[in-house]
Amino acid sequence: MAKQLAFYIDTSACTACKACQIACKDKNSLPVGLLWRRVYQYQGGDWMPHPNQPNIKSPVSMFAYSVSISCMHCQNPLCVTNCPTGAMHKRDDGVVLINADLCIGCRYCEWSCPYSAPQYNAELEVMTKCDFCQDLLAKGEPPACVAACPTRALNYGELEELQKQHGGLAAIEPLPVSNITNPSVVITPHKNAQPSGRGTGHVANLPEEI
Amino acid sequence: MSEQSFLTKMLTETALTRRSFLKWSAALGGTAALAGGVRAGLKAVEKASAASEGEWITAACWHNCGGRCLLKAHVVDGVVTRIKSDDFSEENDNMTQLKACTRGHAKRQQIFGADRLKYPMKRKNWEPGGGKKELRGKDEWVRISWDEALDIVASETKRIKETYGNKAILSPVGNGALNLSAWPVGRMLSLYGGFTAIWGTTSWGALPLPGNRMQGVDVGGVHDRMSVRQSKLIVLWGANPVWSSAGNPTYHYMIAKKAGAKFIVVDPFYTPTAATLADQWIPCRPSTDAALLIGMAYHMITNGLQDQEFLDKYTVGFDADHMPEGADPKENFKDYVLGTFDGIPKTPEWASEICGTPADLIRSFAEEVSITKPTAFITGYAPARTNRGEQFIQAFYTVGWMTGNVGEPGAMVGVSCKERAGDTGPLAPALVYAGDPGVPAVENPICNYGFPGPPASATDWHGFVWNEAWEAVVTGEFTASVRGKQPCDIRMIWNIGDMSSLNQLPNVNQGIEAFRKVEFVVSADSYLTTPCKYADVVLPVTTMWERWGGIMNSNTYHSSRRDIFIYHRQITEPLFEAKDDIWIEAEIGKRLGLDPKVIDPVPYKQMVFNMLAGAQVVKEDGLEFENLLTITADDIARLGVDGTPQQGRITYKELEEKGLYQVPRKPGDKLGLIYFEDFRKDPVANPLNTKTGKLQIHSQSLADDVTDYGWTKLPPIPQYIPPPEGVEATRDGEFPLQLYSIHYMRRSHSTYDSVPWLREAFPQELFMNNLDAEARGLKTGDMVLITSPHGKALRPVFVTPRIMPGVVTMGEGAWVERDDETGIDKAGATNSLNGTNPCGQGVQPWNTNIAQVTRWEGQPLLPDAQWPQRVVFGKDA
Amino acid sequence: MNTREWALVVFTILTQMSVGAFLVLGVVHFFVSRKAGIEEADHMSDRALVAVIITLGLGMLASLLHLGNPMNAPKAILNIASSWLSREILLGVIFAVIAVVFVAMQWFKIGTSSLRNVIAWIAAIVGIALVYSQAEIYMLVTQPSWNTFATPISFFTTTLLLGVLAIGAALVTNYVIYQSRNPESVEIQYDLLRGTIRWIAIASVILLGIELIVLPVYLALLSTGGAAALASLGMIAGKYNLVFILRILLGFTGAGALTIFIFRNASIVNKKRFVTLHAFIAFGLVLIAEVLGRFIFYATQFKIGV
Repeated sequence: MAKQLAFYIDTSACTACKACQIACKDKNSLPVGLLWRRVYQYQGGDWMPHPNQPNIKSPVSMFAYSVSISCMHCQNPLCVTNCPTGAMHKRDDGVVLINADLCIGCRYCEWSCPYSAPQYNAELEVMTKCDFCQDLLAKGEPPACVAACPTRALNYGELEELQKQHGGLAAIEPLPVSNITNPSVVITPHKNAQPSGRGTGHVANLPEEI
Repeated sequence: MSEQSFLTKMLTETALTRRSFLKWSAALGGTAALAGGVRAGLKAVEKASAASEGEWITAACWHNCGGRCLLKAHVVDGVVTRIKSDDFSEENDNMTQLKACTRGHAKRQQIFGADRLKYPMKRKNWEPGGGKKELRGKDEWVRISWDEALDIVASETKRIKETYGNKAILSPVGNGALNLSAWPVGRMLSLYGGFTAIWGTTSWGALPLPGNRMQGVDVGGVHDRMSVRQSKLIVLWGANPVWSSAGNPTYHYMIAKKAGAKFIVVDPFYTPTAATLADQWIPCRPSTDAALLIGMAYHMITNGLQDQEFLDKYTVGFDADHMPEGADPKENFKDYVLGTFDGIPKTPEWASEICGTPADLIRSFAEEVSITKPTAFITGYAPARTNRGEQFIQAFYTVGWMTGNVGEPGAMVGVSCKERAGDTGPLAPALVYAGDPGVPAVENPICNYGFPGPPASATDWHGFVWNEAWEAVVTGEFTASVRGKQPCDIRMIWNIGDMSSLNQLPNVNQGIEAFRKVEFVVSADSYLTTPCKYADVVLPVTTMWERWGGIMNSNTYHSSRRDIFIYHRQITEPLFEAKDDIWIEAEIGKRLGLDPKVIDPVPYKQMVFNMLAGAQVVKEDGLEFENLLTITADDIARLGVDGTPQQGRITYKELEEKGLYQVPRKPGDKLGLIYFEDFRKDPVANPLNTKTGKLQIHSQSLADDVTDYGWTKLPPIPQYIPPPEGVEATRDGEFPLQLYSIHYMRRSHSTYDSVPWLREAFPQELFMNNLDAEARGLKTGDMVLITSPHGKALRPVFVTPRIMPGVVTMGEGAWVERDDETGIDKAGATNSLNGTNPCGQGVQPWNTNIAQVTRWEGQPLLPDAQWPQRVVFGKDA
Repeated sequence: MNTREWALVVFTILTQMSVGAFLVLGVVHFFVSRKAGIEEADHMSDRALVAVIITLGLGMLASLLHLGNPMNAPKAILNIASSWLSREILLGVIFAVIAVVFVAMQWFKIGTSSLRNVIAWIAAIVGIALVYSQAEIYMLVTQPSWNTFATPISFFTTTLLLGVLAIGAALVTNYVIYQSRNPESVEIQYDLLRGTIRWIAIASVILLGIELIVLPVYLALLSTGGAAALASLGMIAGKYNLVFILRILLGFTGAGALTIFIFRNASIVNKKRFVTLHAFIAFGLVLIAEVLGRFIFYATQFKIGV
């Protein structure tokens, strides 16, 4: 397999604090509305009268966890396949980048990506996305989101290496099944994580958060 | 372009549109950005960061969050390009990096925000003595010179002092996000004859007095992180460190989890902490924790699960055979629980009806904490910030002690949250601390008490408990403990000293009435916070990034760990005309005829140097201390301060470069802290600082003192007595929901609330259970009107099974946006909804409120992140 | 829906209509020349050809409104190796160039008619490929409401339906404004027109029938297509249900107007006015129906994933 950089997400350690999201916005000076990294809260369950105490309600199958994602720098990136200008491209190290000079802002990549990674910047009139902090990588430093995580839930590295360490899981709810684009990600599941496509919960965030 | 003029230009060009925001952002990356337009701007960012290495300078992150984390600003050619936290050193579980939280990472947008106060200003219709006082909060602003502003403040202060006396000046500050912990708030006013101060337990709720009388320590009991790691079971009661002690504490708990600890979280809300750490969640309604604990005690007693040997040897008050001298034997805890005398057995079912926790869960929880050893039985402050919060503390300590988990590795009962959560508690002695800044203390002759307040019997003060402040201004009467009600006459509100009083004291509606009643209001801050908005004269204050430097060390109560020392430096020149608060106080004092040298006796830089030179660090033996710093004659000359060279553990240069010193730690070292260790080994030889020298389940002096404060009668043993506006009050119908206030990730109290990045990430939603939402036909994102007996607010609702039915909650600290006509606060400040209800030892019961929630049929709100910021003057002011 | 998505509605509807009109005009021309000679056929269709070109031009202009950075539009053909969007743009440009060349040659009678025929055939084939590429753009695995057989079928039925009806309207206009004033051919032209319109009507009813069969099958597919497809279905049945019903009603009414015409055509006294009126009513109603249909197509898309 060719070299492929990947993110590691330990959802058992993610607190949904969004330090990664803010560090990303700071590093990239992103305006409100652009979230190259964002945190999905997935939750489910209900409250039912307790069997022994009908007037006391207790939680049933209640769970909550969160997943922080940015661009998945997929091995089969539909954004790259479908981009009409070739602005969206995949680098030798597997990082998917946008060449803003080529982008025409048609947003076809936005329709194609199941992770909402390419995002339209209305001021610049082009698509923008996570570039894996390529300038930091070049200096041997971790991406801003990884460096920021207070619970060390995020990491990055060679996909194969990460898979050796943490296994091959690349999708849990609410992420789509991984065979659409082969995301370059390795996930350690939260104890309540549900398999993609077969979840009993829902994404809980308010619309403006994601 | 010089640094200052560039930053000034950058800020003034920041209007409200996204386009200009981008320009600003781009500008932060490189000076070429503004000339080349937006598209070129972003490229310039890339080029600038690629071309110039810049410098990482340790920057202050100084707010009242409890975290003290390492923050570094990347400065390239005088421009801050980005923020980074601690990833500078190798780490292991004993020497963890000090990662900053979400808020710290947003610091650049906070410091350089378009809404920074730029110039001194006055209200257009202001006149000496007031002038259309009802327009406070909605008048226009007029830019004025510093001289005019200081003259107005001085002359009004003088007039009011001379006409009404010093007691007519209320300064509701002193417990906020301290800009400078070395500087005593209100120093100048104290020298000028004093002022009416506010006091209260604030964050600590009902903790201090029961802690003091029952265990001899106001707040404490939790060992350091090395010992917490030895616990098999960690109970977190009403503590959500993920939000309230963001940064490092959660990670310490994760290390304990990795070491094998099981976590049980007790909370009305399945918090982010619970979602991350908890093996089990015990739902419990706000303000009913005492009932849950007493129900647990019943199960323990009736099944012989309590550690009777421990209780007999180390405590008094548990049963009739072990009562303190002079106490009525019938007044023992065991008989209260069993209902021996009142005929009400406090069974788990009895508790369940109150706290909402299923009875079988109460039983299994009681069994688990009784059987598992060692257990860490840890509470946050939140359950104590309730009406009748003392009863929770009494019950918490008592049930904790019933398990016998005291004074041994991994075994502890106590308070640990906010600062040093999961790693001792607020008052634990530090392993490294700063020296004295050298500013002699000044007493406020009128009320020298602040936090947590005067002793119950003291009569040498004229001041208001926090939650009675506005009422006192409006009604002219305040509660003065043993003296009963006393008259007062406030003519001026002095908000210089860094606290958003009007926003952060309960009952904002009454607060606005108070602000509009007095003759003069002056406020100083870096932003148009709520007390600034309702002031006559507003003074712009610098942030810590604009000052010479400073220390966030572990001898102040705001510090995240007892083994760290952070030295931060200046990042930028003062923005616009902002001045630091010492200068402001000195200038006003000068106009009042005081000697500026007395107000400000030690230059700022010298104060910081004194703290550095005097910094002490513990030696390996854990007993002796030595100088932290080696300081050379060159260092002293370079800094331009007075001092003598000294030897210490590390060089000044190293500290300056790294910004952080961590005391080396490893398990088994001699630097750990185990509370009550000696007492556990030999209670006779090492008595506690309590009346009997033992842990006091029964404390008559506690009961007497609380009663003396004048609001609440407290029994000497833990009992559950329904508080006003508790769950019982929801059963009447009009306000069927319990509302409590949580610390929220978007802010540290009210600090950071205006930062768009954080508003976007955390939309100030009302958390509501799915059943309550269904009954109202609500779904996530719908706008709801929240009504309490004290006010109204408008917010989007977040529907979730993660909160108990019948309970709603919202983050405290949003910047009030009240409509005078409707009385609706569309920002959703919890203090717009909270009543005052002073109680106990001067407690602010923020977590005991009732409310109703209905669908909002009016115009929906835009998301907060899209609101215009409070920008008073733009480019051409 | 925002301006950008409306631009896509206008772009796809107009380009498909012009491709369809071009094809239909070719068929009409073929049969009319066999029946009445090339000259009469040219009289009948040349002006309509110009209208086709204008429609195509407007459609392509609309496409630029959908781009954030239209100045870069020429670069959009760089990725024909894998992007159907590149292919669409390339095919659109080729179709436009060939069609313009053909129309110019036809108008000014440049070259032989067989040469013009060859060029017209090439344009027709490119046009069909263009519509196919447009359909392929939306066959995205991440867009279940688009990624069904209904997308190509509906794009082609739209092409042909609007093509035939637009040509019907164009021929009628041509007749009323120009041919009816030409005493030499007025009767021949009217007969030709009536016969053509009759076939146009029959074709339209068949195409509308196909659409009305495809729709319920499409909805059934959505109902079994997973969460995102269900979300799309929910929007069709919920937020946009009135638009959806209106779209079907208009389609039926347009078909109804045509059916009435077909059956009553022979016996009407004032034939000219009736033919004109019906050709325009049918075209107008069906055009609105198709625009609404395309609006729903864009407005109810729901991506899988997050």
